[in-house]
Amino acid sequence: MPFSPLEWQIVRFTLAVCAFSTLLILPVGLAIAWLLDRYHWPGKLLVETVVTLPLVLPPVATGLVLLKMFGRRGPIGHFLNQHFDVDVVFTWRAVVLAAAVMSFPLLVRSARVGFQGVDQRLEQIARTLGARDMRVFLTITLPLALRGIVAGIVLAFARAVGEFGATILVAGNIPGKTTTLSLEIFSAVQLGHDATAYRLLVICVVIAFTAVWLSELLMKKRST
Amino acid sequence: MRISVLILTAMLAVCNLNGAEINVYAAASLTDVMKEIASAYEKESGDKILFNFGASSLLARQIIERAPADMFISADEAKMDELAKAGLIATETRRDLLSNLLVIVVPSYSKLVIASPEELVTKSQKIAVADARAVPAGIYTKEYLTRLGLWQKLEPKIVPTENVRAALVAVESGNVDAGFVYKTDANISSKVRVAFTVAVEQGPPIRYPVALLKEAKDKSAAAKFLVYLQSANARKTFERYGFIVKF
Amino acid sequence: MKLAIRQLSLRLQQFTLGVDVDLQHARTAIFGPSGAGKTSLLETIAGLRKPDTAKISFNDQLFDDSGQNYWLPVRLRKLGYVPQYDSLFPHLSVQRNLLYGSNGKPKDHAFEFHHIIDFLDIGHLLDRHVRSLSRGENQRVVIARALLSAPQLLLLDEPLTSLDAKLKNAILQQLQTLHREFGVPMLFVTHDPMEATAICEEVLLLQAGRIIGRGDPAKLLG
Repeated sequence: MPFSPLEWQIVRFTLAVCAFSTLLILPVGLAIAWLLDRYHWPGKLLVETVVTLPLVLPPVATGLVLLKMFGRRGPIGHFLNQHFDVDVVFTWRAVVLAAAVMSFPLLVRSARVGFQGVDQRLEQIARTLGARDMRVFLTITLPLALRGIVAGIVLAFARAVGEFGATILVAGNIPGKTTTLSLEIFSAVQLGHDATAYRLLVICVVIAFTAVWLSELLMKKRST
Repeated sequence: MRISVLILTAMLAVCNLNGAEINVYAAASLTDVMKEIASAYEKESGDKILFNFGASSLLARQIIERAPADMFISADEAKMDELAKAGLIATETRRDLLSNLLVIVVPSYSKLVIASPEELVTKSQKIAVADARAVPAGIYTKEYLTRLGLWQKLEPKIVPTENVRAALVAVESGNVDAGFVYKTDANISSKVRVAFTVAVEQGPPIRYPVALLKEAKDKSAAAKFLVYLQSANARKTFERYGFIVKF
Repeated sequence: MKLAIRQLSLRLQQFTLGVDVDLQHARTAIFGPSGAGKTSLLETIAGLRKPDTAKISFNDQLFDDSGQNYWLPVRLRKLGYVPQYDSLFPHLSVQRNLLYGSNGKPKDHAFEFHHIIDFLDIGHLLDRHVRSLSRGENQRVVIARALLSAPQLLLLDEPLTSLDAKLKNAILQQLQTLHREFGVPMLFVTHDPMEATAICEEVLLLQAGRIIGRGDPAKLLG
């Protein structure tokens, strides 16, 4: 396939960033999904709303919030800059941030459905057999919720790959540094390089197919 | 009876039976000055000016895709030439309207002092520049820095923006250490300070050509506005904003 | 064995479960019509349900004491629980199910793996998938799994329901000798007088949440 080294770099960068962001949100996302499924507390509705916000708000609106919070003069950005000499905006970290925030609600929603489907009586039986809570979670709850969790991971990853609105605001479109597949397609269209745009589109489709196929494979092995 | 009055008023508002509507596509750096000039013209003529501001590269592409522009003011010759080649402009109406100066700006609170662009290599980490692949301001900047032999060294620090105003905003926010914008952009912002001005002889020749589109809806109205843009009143306004007038 | 239940009170849908009793026999049946509160009582002893008030202790180990706000977690009660519903872990093989309760624990000679497997005649099922088991096979594996966790008390909730007569008899025989074989006392919930009489030394009659009688199963239910 006649892809240039620059285009390969963009594909590798995009996949790496999205894999990283998905891994990043996994522990927190599962924890919150589990808490939302199992417990009720005053203010639960607030948590549910905040978690769902990136799904409902226009991506650029979320990008705006992230820009204000993580910019050098924003509350979090300033702290990171002063104490760790770390910049977020206009770096790869912002790409990860945007991808993580935008894909988070999808992971939580799917995982929550996964947890909902677990028969809690089986968890109780595991306890009668002497298992501690963490063992019950790891050996009973998680495996039985896996379908929903894997679906959540695939959705989150796909959403991260397709992320554009928040990314362009908070990470910019810096070739070699923050340019992702989506941003490069945008640039190509803007510059009139339609052939490039189509080639990159093909890559996106391939990624989508692979992700779905992989998740089907994973789930098929389990339900024998 | 009341309803028909309402409908009629609505129709009038929509149709603007009094005057013509002129669609002006203009470079982002002209945003503030053109709005002021247009507002004065609207009072005088009764015509309505509708603007589309953006990077000249983006606007040129839109016009090529047959966006309904009546007049185009580009920030460089190249974009206007593109349209001329595509046979979209009324070439007899084309002329140079303005020129500008390139400056390096820093956030107003920044203590950064730059005696020459060379110092950006050591004194800055991130520099905002309008996308040098297509946007005039970026192309001018790249031309200038290349001539100085600094482009290679500074390129890793550059954060490309969608247009020159976005570069300005990036500097205002403090998320970059410095940026290349037009002098006129620096003038309208209180949140940036000019750290270095590129002298006219040193920088690339900046030209803002203007032309009417062949497909303009109301050619006489557009032509009237073009004349106004070259009037004494317009000149005063352009100069007040810092533009160099070429007519 | 000594199971002391004092002032147990648990609000249920139709009535309040109220029990105050001492149990000493190795094989005790809890007998009553459906809806009498038998399962709720069993669940409370197991720690799967929290009563409104209760003071429960087993062999002098405190399980519940609502007065002192004390409640021993399920996993520390070391009880084997065989519920009415299908309780094998569907994502694990039969073997892994069986070993779940004895995972990593030192081998207890009284509850040796092959002894239990042979006793319940499930050796041929080890590599099977849980979903492929018949109801009877399922029940035997569940009982074996509970036994393998070396419990100090076995709680069985109507284990022989929905089994055909032949299977019932087979498992019945195994349950009859279970105590002799492994030394584990059991609480056996049933609504079948025949089962209660065949297996247990004492029966508790439960109706609408209250104990209305106790004694020799043959005499009370005969």
